[in-house]
Amino acid sequence: MEQLPQQLVNGIWQGAGLALFALGFALVFGLLDVVNLAHGATYMWGAFFGLVCVTRLGWPLWAAIPAAMIGAGLLAVLLERLAFKPLRTLTTGSLVLWGGFLVLLLGFVGVRQEEVRAGLLGLGAALMLLGLVQDYRAPRPLLQRSMPYLAPMIASIGASTILVSLAQGLFGAQPSRFPPDLFPTTPYPLGQAAVIAPIQLLVLAVALVLMIGLHLLIARTQTGRAIRAIAWSERTARLLGINADLVIAQTFFVSGALAGASGALLGLAFNRIEPTMGSQIELAGLTVIVVGGMSSIGGTVVAAFLVGLLRVLGVAYVDSSFRDALVFALLILVLLARPQGLFGRANSTRA
Amino acid sequence: MKIMGLSVLIALSLLLSGCGSGAAPGAQPASSPQSAGQGAASAGGLSGEIPVGAVWSLTGAAAVYGTVQKNAADLATDEINRSGFLGSAKLKLITEDDRSTREGGIAAFEKLLNRDRVAAILGPTLSNTARATDPMAQDKGIVVLGVSNTADGIVEIGDFVFRDSLPESDVQPNTIRVTKDKLGYRRVAVLYGDDDAFTKAGYDVFSKALADAGVQVVATETFKKGDTDFSAQLTKIRSANPDAIVLSALAEEAAGIMTQARQLGIPTSVPFIGGNGLNSPQLAQLAGSAAQGAISGAAWFISNDTPGNAAFVQAYRDRYGSDPDQFAAQAYTGVYLLATALKNAGSSNPRAIRDALAQLKDVPTVLGSFSFDPSRNPVHPPVVQIVQDGKFTLFK
Repeated sequence: MEQLPQQLVNGIWQGAGLALFALGFALVFGLLDVVNLAHGATYMWGAFFGLVCVTRLGWPLWAAIPAAMIGAGLLAVLLERLAFKPLRTLTTGSLVLWGGFLVLLLGFVGVRQEEVRAGLLGLGAALMLLGLVQDYRAPRPLLQRSMPYLAPMIASIGASTILVSLAQGLFGAQPSRFPPDLFPTTPYPLGQAAVIAPIQLLVLAVALVLMIGLHLLIARTQTGRAIRAIAWSERTARLLGINADLVIAQTFFVSGALAGASGALLGLAFNRIEPTMGSQIELAGLTVIVVGGMSSIGGTVVAAFLVGLLRVLGVAYVDSSFRDALVFALLILVLLARPQGLFGRANSTRA
Repeated sequence: MKIMGLSVLIALSLLLSGCGSGAAPGAQPASSPQSAGQGAASAGGLSGEIPVGAVWSLTGAAAVYGTVQKNAADLATDEINRSGFLGSAKLKLITEDDRSTREGGIAAFEKLLNRDRVAAILGPTLSNTARATDPMAQDKGIVVLGVSNTADGIVEIGDFVFRDSLPESDVQPNTIRVTKDKLGYRRVAVLYGDDDAFTKAGYDVFSKALADAGVQVVATETFKKGDTDFSAQLTKIRSANPDAIVLSALAEEAAGIMTQARQLGIPTSVPFIGGNGLNSPQLAQLAGSAAQGAISGAAWFISNDTPGNAAFVQAYRDRYGSDPDQFAAQAYTGVYLLATALKNAGSSNPRAIRDALAQLKDVPTVLGSFSFDPSRNPVHPPVVQIVQDGKFTLFK
């Protein structure tokens, strides 16, 4: 029993990191009813962005983490334009964007001379930029339809695979690490029975700040109001003159930034960054949004702490093999007993 | 029409599967001689290129060991070819990556045994993989020489399976005895990976050695390969207050464990004592200051005063710009052992190689004076080492 306070501390700081990830998930799901299964890959890329900033560019941590957030956010926007938007609104711009993306991929793979590779990458990037701009400013789409339910989810699975393979190609399949001793390892005591290490405290602190920031964004800003409007009804929002495509892009940016923050922080805390790290947290993230329900940030946060604690206490009091099994069990239990989540509202018809 | 189409499809798929590579295991009994490579003579001399396979984990969880093994094996092969050790014959080393997985190992062995038709195989890196792949070589009657397999159930697979890596059951009792004498601990916690053959076997050996030495085990915890969070297990260990923590893990997990242990406030007066997995100089690189004072039992040590060791270390440094570790030394020795067996056998006939290898006695190697015992396990003296300021030094 004397280890319980420490286990609780373990669960809380990990739950905070998980909450950041899950909030990004929930944002996109709440807005578009889309389960973005590439969210884990965005998280992983956020970790790698942070790593590259520290190891190859030599930046300090307080610059690397925001950079990781911005990088992951931009990645998420690109993902949305490539994989989700064309499914509901196809424009010439999105076709050009795709063409550019394929050229870019061609530039990455295979053995080529340096000039050919640079040329392909440059051409690809230019085409993509062109496509993005045209897509955004297009007055009339080529094709417009309501999104079939499963299509975006499947598209996100494909996107996730591409993102993971790109990471494996660039960084190798084995784990990469931040330089050791970036943070002192001696922990701070928390009362008699528990301690917390400096990096873990950082994760908790940054997570809390970002959560409060997100709440302020949604509740107090114009963009937040637009997000809530689109979540309620996209058609009505468009009719009211809200630039839905811009707001969707902004939401994806925030979602990606949260994933990037989570990736950089948890990557730093565990100091083990590999291309497959997204899949581990994705299960936990999915469980969090199901358990928490879609209706509030607070619900998702509480659910995240719950799942974080479950993972730690499961290993502590059951067995290390059961960590994921218990999370799965919780997911299924909630889906069976209360599918709207612990904090969600039951499905009701809206007038 | 539909039935026509279906039968064409079935016929096509049968045709395609028939063209696939890989004889079924057991199709060729182990005793039938099989000529391997070009220029193989059945008696009276080696000539031409003798193909030898090497399966290393160049990517994946065990890449930290596999890449070093490849370096050392390449070094040894070049030395042997340049020095005319095998007369006019040359060793041709064919290297494959098993990606630290059993599936990758099986695919690699498949290629080496059936397409390249090698005379012998070195590796694979992980005991876990070896348990799946060595039976394939045994069935084909091709020698497989493990240079880093230390778990149980390896040489028991058959008489074509050898290893030059001292099994944990020989090294670790020595480690426990030496450290208990020096540090005088009476209560330890044990932490091991229960999903890998090597780490689990290490745990079994340590448990027995601890029981034999009369040391009390106050906590036993487990984790999985690829885990990043060990806080739950380490918290339980911390509350049991051990004098030392016995750790059976691969280097990647070990680094995470040691760092998180110090982050949880387990004092540095509680050292980690570990098995073969801690035996990589990368450990200090991965774990930084948390690796300070980590003790491990080893088969080889960089300033070992063994035949040719100083030259080997220098040659490795010159060629690769870093220090070799035990895995390098064992891989290097493995190539030399195979070459010696080839030379003694005078032919690249697989059975002749096997017999010559089994009869090797007191061969001077960088691991020490080396022999195989009747069950094809290695015999040479082990050491205990400790990480001090990022480097391995002899534990005294």
